[in-house]
Amino acid sequence: MGHHYITEIKEEKFEFTTKSRIFVTAILVLGIILAVIGGIQVNSNAVDSTEEHAMAQVDHHEENAQDHSSGEVHEMHGEQSSHASNGTVRIWANLLMNAYYFMLFGMGAMFFWAVNYVANAGWSTMVKRVVEAISAYIIPGAILLLVILIAGGDHIYHWIQYQELGLVEGDPGFDKILNEKAWFLNKGWLYAGVGVITLAWIAFRFILRRFSLKEDEEADTKYFYKSVRYSAGFIAFFAFSISVFSWIVIMSIDAHWFSTIFSVYNFAVTFVTGLTVLAMFVLYLKSKGYMELVSDEVIHDIGKFMFAFSIFWGYIWLSQYLLIWYANLPEETIYFDARVNTGFEPMFLVNIFMCFVLPFLILMMRNAKRNPKVMILAGSIILIGHWLDMFLMVMPGTVGTSATIGMLEIGVTMAFAGLFIYVVLNALSKASLYPKNHPYLLESANHDVGV
Amino acid sequence: MLDKNLIVGVYDNEDNLMSTVGRLRKKGVEIFDCFTPYPVHNLDKEMGIKRSNLTVGAFICGSLGFLSGTLLQFYMMTNHLGTFKSWPMNIGGKPMDYLMLPSMMPVMFELTILFTAFGIGILFFIRSRMIHGKIAAILDPRQTQDRLLIAIEPGHLGISRDELNQILKEEGAIELRERKDGEQVVINV
Repeated sequence: MGHHYITEIKEEKFEFTTKSRIFVTAILVLGIILAVIGGIQVNSNAVDSTEEHAMAQVDHHEENAQDHSSGEVHEMHGEQSSHASNGTVRIWANLLMNAYYFMLFGMGAMFFWAVNYVANAGWSTMVKRVVEAISAYIIPGAILLLVILIAGGDHIYHWIQYQELGLVEGDPGFDKILNEKAWFLNKGWLYAGVGVITLAWIAFRFILRRFSLKEDEEADTKYFYKSVRYSAGFIAFFAFSISVFSWIVIMSIDAHWFSTIFSVYNFAVTFVTGLTVLAMFVLYLKSKGYMELVSDEVIHDIGKFMFAFSIFWGYIWLSQYLLIWYANLPEETIYFDARVNTGFEPMFLVNIFMCFVLPFLILMMRNAKRNPKVMILAGSIILIGHWLDMFLMVMPGTVGTSATIGMLEIGVTMAFAGLFIYVVLNALSKASLYPKNHPYLLESANHDVGV
Repeated sequence: MLDKNLIVGVYDNEDNLMSTVGRLRKKGVEIFDCFTPYPVHNLDKEMGIKRSNLTVGAFICGSLGFLSGTLLQFYMMTNHLGTFKSWPMNIGGKPMDYLMLPSMMPVMFELTILFTAFGIGILFFIRSRMIHGKIAAILDPRQTQDRLLIAIEPGHLGISRDELNQILKEEGAIELRERKDGEQVVINV
């Protein structure tokens, strides 16, 4: 035989050594320390910045009142900054943003896992355990997110404070839009909705993971077929639930604004970041000498996915922006007004470059997707770019124009990254690195992209 | 190709063809081409065919499309190139300068796709010399059915004819042929 076919796959197990445990915990602790120092700093400066913030809000408010028929709509923004100090809002907004962002990694991995079963795809089977490990984060991630929503919700969502006032038509400060959205924008949906949705995701993950582990012990295709059925169910549920999830957690920050494509936009972020994290972990494991059987071909295909979904993100981003820009309706442009005509503009442009232009140009070449260094570079750009993306979704509506990236932001992100890496590597060490007895395992090992 | 002198080995099995190719390449024989009824995985790598530059062509075509989409709209809709003369079409009340860039995106995108798709299609036909009306160069009608063929030019052998025949036979060729001056002769069964 001229070509070498892999016919047998040796069992491999990832060992989460004490050294790397300490290292990852150090990132987590350092992140917490930085966050605490940053938080104290922010709160001690809060007096000045609250004044500034209030000023900025007033300007902002006047500006909007001119082109909006009901000036009262934005009353709540101003009220919010006087309600809680800006420093507290900033801390909660940071926590929310990162809790949501890292949750998306796990969900992107879940979706990739399910979609490969439903599509009957064999090429990715070799990295399936890494996908499973990444999705393990949704359990602590969901708990953290819920805690943040319950404890800090009133600081983040101005509609919570509004709904508590219980205003009726004719009252001063009455807000028709918020009153009509009250059936969805209320604490019940925020806590129970997010709770039920994340719980269902965790249940799907638990079932799929159990099938995957059982398949290791027992060579039977029934687990594969069961996984296909549950994956199909998961995808149907996921399509609906990720939408609701993104509306209630992120879009409701700008409660007066709405965008029908927002959930698709968030899905684009979910999938592209999930794939990028997958590529990063596989490359990390390969650099440590694990997973040698995962060929360049498989990584090439993951790279193609990263490339394709960066374009998809750009496409959805433009779809959202272009329609709002063209129609020029005040209640829609308010969202971009707060991001383009303020200090956020440089970030707004950098975001497009990092999430679309750079990945598009870097990952376009075939050899780039086969070069670990270039893949890590492109992956880092994508991950940092989408972090900025999250920042732009959360900050203008909560902290306002005074939002910057300081020690607090870096610290909170580091802490979440440390936790995420710890959970993923820990889950990875729990099972063998290659799924045993999976019907497509050899197909994946001998995968050939053809070009 | 029809006027080339070729030595042809006929196979009924892709594994035999693959191993023949591998063995001949090790001996330094230059393989003219292989003909198979279906794509055989890794045969191109085994034959040592270099990766095509078609993707570079696609990139150039795409860039051209992007440029023409950009220039076209700046030429027609703005005055940045000093060409804004007769048809000022104000769409949606947007400023008629570079600030209307978002509305130009769809056209830029579509022209990039159009140029890439047509460009790469045309380049592919040129590169593989598929011109309308060309007589199909078929060595054996069964090459599109159930036979796999390997063709070697006698001028690029590097080993003796006897050795070549020996290798082809050993690797399970069911027929050896030679094509000389457009005539095909079975030389060995």
